[in-house]
Amino acid sequence: MKSFSNTTLTLLVLMGVFVMLAAGFLLDLWGRPVSRPEIPLVDPAFISTDTVRTSYAELVAKKDTDALSDFDCYTCHEKGKPPTLRFDDKQNLIIPSEHSDIVMKHGSHNRNNLCFNCHNENNLELLQPRDGRELKFADSTKLCGSCHGPNYRDWEAGAHGRTSGYWDRSKGEITRKDCVSCHNPHSPKFPGRKPAPPPHPLRPLDKPKLATEGEH
Amino acid sequence: MSHDPSHNENIPALDANGLSRRSFLRTSAAFTTGLAAIAAGLAPLRNLKDFTSMEQFVQKYYKELTPADMEKVIKRIENEVEKQYGIRPHVRDLKPMDGVEFAYFLNLSRCIGCRKCVHACVAENNQSRNPEIQYIRVLKMENGSFDMEKAVHDYDPALVPEKGHFYMPVQCQQCHNPPCVKVCPVHATWQETDGITVIDYDWCIGCRYCEAACPYWARRFNFAKPSIPKERINTDMSYLGNRPRKQGVMEKCHFCIQRTRAGRYPACVEVCPAGTRKFGNILDPNSEVSYILKNKRVFIQLKEELGTSPRFFYYFDV
Repeated sequence: MKSFSNTTLTLLVLMGVFVMLAAGFLLDLWGRPVSRPEIPLVDPAFISTDTVRTSYAELVAKKDTDALSDFDCYTCHEKGKPPTLRFDDKQNLIIPSEHSDIVMKHGSHNRNNLCFNCHNENNLELLQPRDGRELKFADSTKLCGSCHGPNYRDWEAGAHGRTSGYWDRSKGEITRKDCVSCHNPHSPKFPGRKPAPPPHPLRPLDKPKLATEGEH
Repeated sequence: MSHDPSHNENIPALDANGLSRRSFLRTSAAFTTGLAAIAAGLAPLRNLKDFTSMEQFVQKYYKELTPADMEKVIKRIENEVEKQYGIRPHVRDLKPMDGVEFAYFLNLSRCIGCRKCVHACVAENNQSRNPEIQYIRVLKMENGSFDMEKAVHDYDPALVPEKGHFYMPVQCQQCHNPPCVKVCPVHATWQETDGITVIDYDWCIGCRYCEAACPYWARRFNFAKPSIPKERINTDMSYLGNRPRKQGVMEKCHFCIQRTRAGRYPACVEVCPAGTRKFGNILDPNSEVSYILKNKRVFIQLKEELGTSPRFFYYFDV
């Protein structure tokens, strides 16, 4: 066939190829990356710098009168009349229903189940370390330090507990937290919490294991 | 074309160049269709949006920029960010301070594995949300072992910490002897005098050698165009730190350079609910990091045997 010169043939073949490519791209048959699954934005609670609890000093600073009313012992108790403590037959403190929010778990084996190890029985609005000092609620850190010496020393040096603000003291303030900003004084062990979501792999199909829960 | 075609019906008449009318039309039709097909075939190029601007293309190497050059560069970045995200950032180029060398201490006895540091870091440093880029990886380890091969990083129980495990967050260790810096063919990453290994995102060519060289898996690559929702952009940016990256460049932890060089603590330190993370100037004998190094059981630099000598230390209480 003389009429099909080499040039025409090449052009025809090329045309076919490009028409197919064009159709492929227009119909999105291949080429464009597979669309990635949505990743929900992380809950802002996970990036909040709030501590686990709010200490008395912070409540005072925030003027949270509702929460502060818990510290007005003498709206219920009678002045000059130390409350009596009751124990069950296993020497567990019986927590009165008015204080049902308190879980006594400070130290194991009932070694520290006496309210007046820390509270002053004659003035319930004061704290009472064993060395005879009388401390206000806002000074609770010193009370903790009277037993937990090494941790108190570390805390004073900045090695225990949260530090925020400025590491360079010439540029700004460093913010320290009280013991009770993180630890519940009645059950100081740091509570478990929900972890923030784990990383999402780039290609989820490669890792079906992620769907299975709770590997132990 | 003026040639008489009639003397043989079967053989098309030829002009002086040997081209008949029919074959000319056929060829040109094929050619036009071919061109159109090429144009359609190259259609995906239309989706390319992020062309490097001429200003960025001719920009000099970071260390050669004069303060006046830097001012221009910062203006350009601010304009680009505003164009892309509709929010005007505040970009700075903070220099290392004299007499400051940063060190980071992480208390393995305290970490509860809650991953708040991971997400605070993402928020602070404008990391891509999809695909996800995170500088910190929290490894769940078996108690009594240090076998990183058995570490789990995608744990997701109802509550952490889990019994029988401890948690070890790993991020850039800011080595004294960084292997990633050695392998970079274009010097786009280097160690600054305050100990932070930084990346110039405008100089990086995306070869990923540094990712391969890092023994801590601390470097992340932008395989796709980063996506950050506008309302989660952190506008306090720095050139070597958290300004938005492009597709095809490396990034990694830089100790929140935009905060730490202004005297503040990194975001991961401020968010940790357990007070696990400690940061400061190791050259200052009164800093908390100096106290920890002197008084605590600082037991490892991770993969110490490699001789990288990290500025990131793990320690235990007691």
